[in-house]
Amino acid sequence: MEIADKAEFDEACQYAEEAALAGLVSQYSGTLYRVAYSVLRNSADAEDAVQETFLRVLRHRETLGEVRDQRVWLIRIVWNVVLDRKRRAKTRPETDDVAELARVLPAGGLSAEERAAAAQHHALVLGCVEQLPAKERQVLLLSAFEELNSVEIAAVLDITESSVRSRLFRARNLMAGLLNHSRSLR
Amino acid sequence: MKPVVQNLFDASPDSSSFEETLRLLARLPAPEGIEERVQAGLREASLRAGSHTASGEAASGSAVSSKARILQWPRVGRLESAWARTAAAAAIVFVVAGGGWCISSRIQPVQPQAAVALPRVAAHGGFSSAGAMRTPQTLNGPVAAPAAVVVAPQKVTPAANPATLIRRTPLHRGKPASTGSTASAKPDAGAKSAAEQPVAPVAK
Repeated sequence: MEIADKAEFDEACQYAEEAALAGLVSQYSGTLYRVAYSVLRNSADAEDAVQETFLRVLRHRETLGEVRDQRVWLIRIVWNVVLDRKRRAKTRPETDDVAELARVLPAGGLSAEERAAAAQHHALVLGCVEQLPAKERQVLLLSAFEELNSVEIAAVLDITESSVRSRLFRARNLMAGLLNHSRSLR
Repeated sequence: MKPVVQNLFDASPDSSSFEETLRLLARLPAPEGIEERVQAGLREASLRAGSHTASGEAASGSAVSSKARILQWPRVGRLESAWARTAAAAAIVFVVAGGGWCISSRIQPVQPQAAVALPRVAAHGGFSSAGAMRTPQTLNGPVAAPAAVVVAPQKVTPAANPATLIRRTPLHRGKPASTGSTASAKPDAGAKSAAEQPVAPVAK
């Protein structure tokens, strides 16, 4: 009798965990995709990263109940996943980025030429972002997400809020210098 | 509520250009059907994990699975919550500290009271021996050898130095050395005594 009750209890727990995980997928998969895409800049890779994130959550589903802020927790997991992927991946040529950006960026009533020019400009900006030091680059990318404030960015990167602000300030200054330099070369 | 990080971007042309690009990137919509694909992937992973367990069970016999279930710790008994772990850690620390205190209180021997050395007070209210090293009462003062030189009676002249005469006298014995006024003597008194007697006794 005890074994039967226990089996039912385990099944009920498992069902509850799966339901909770399904809720997380429907609620946060879009946000996680955008975070992954901002680093990987490839749609397929970003989706794989989201899948990998939820697989990790599935493996450690017993810790779901202890997490206070699930959104920040998931973003932190996907952030670590994309950084691992980026380290292992080879350097992508800039032309791939331009083509990808031209495909995904909203048209906004622009002509084909204007859209291509915009894509070139965005590719230039992203190229400068890649030249930033890793710490400043990560803070700059995360700061573009409106749903993340400086406290949450600090939680994702496991640093203090003051570090976030100082790195952001440095990143801005460095970006201004890199953009001016790129424009002067062109 | 606007995130605090928004205020960190100034409205300068350079910052707005890359800022706009990064925000466009951050606002990109997720591809359609991503939720279904992720859910399907998770279901597949769960089935694979279940099949691994099932194949393992089949290999070792079905009794293994029931044994594993029986041996599995109940979820209720696990200290999964943070507060339960904290309480358990605090209880362990309390028990260890309390046991150590009990042991130390029993083992600690009774220490003998340390003797308090009181400072010697001058007998006649003279100078105290503060600052002087305390000597045990084993000696009755420095013992001087009896003077081998016999002091022959001398003609005492008024010019004789009474201090010299006084120095030759043996120190008194049997009494503790009093405040250091023994060797000092007034010249006038010494002169008078020298005139009257060859050797002046040491004043007490």
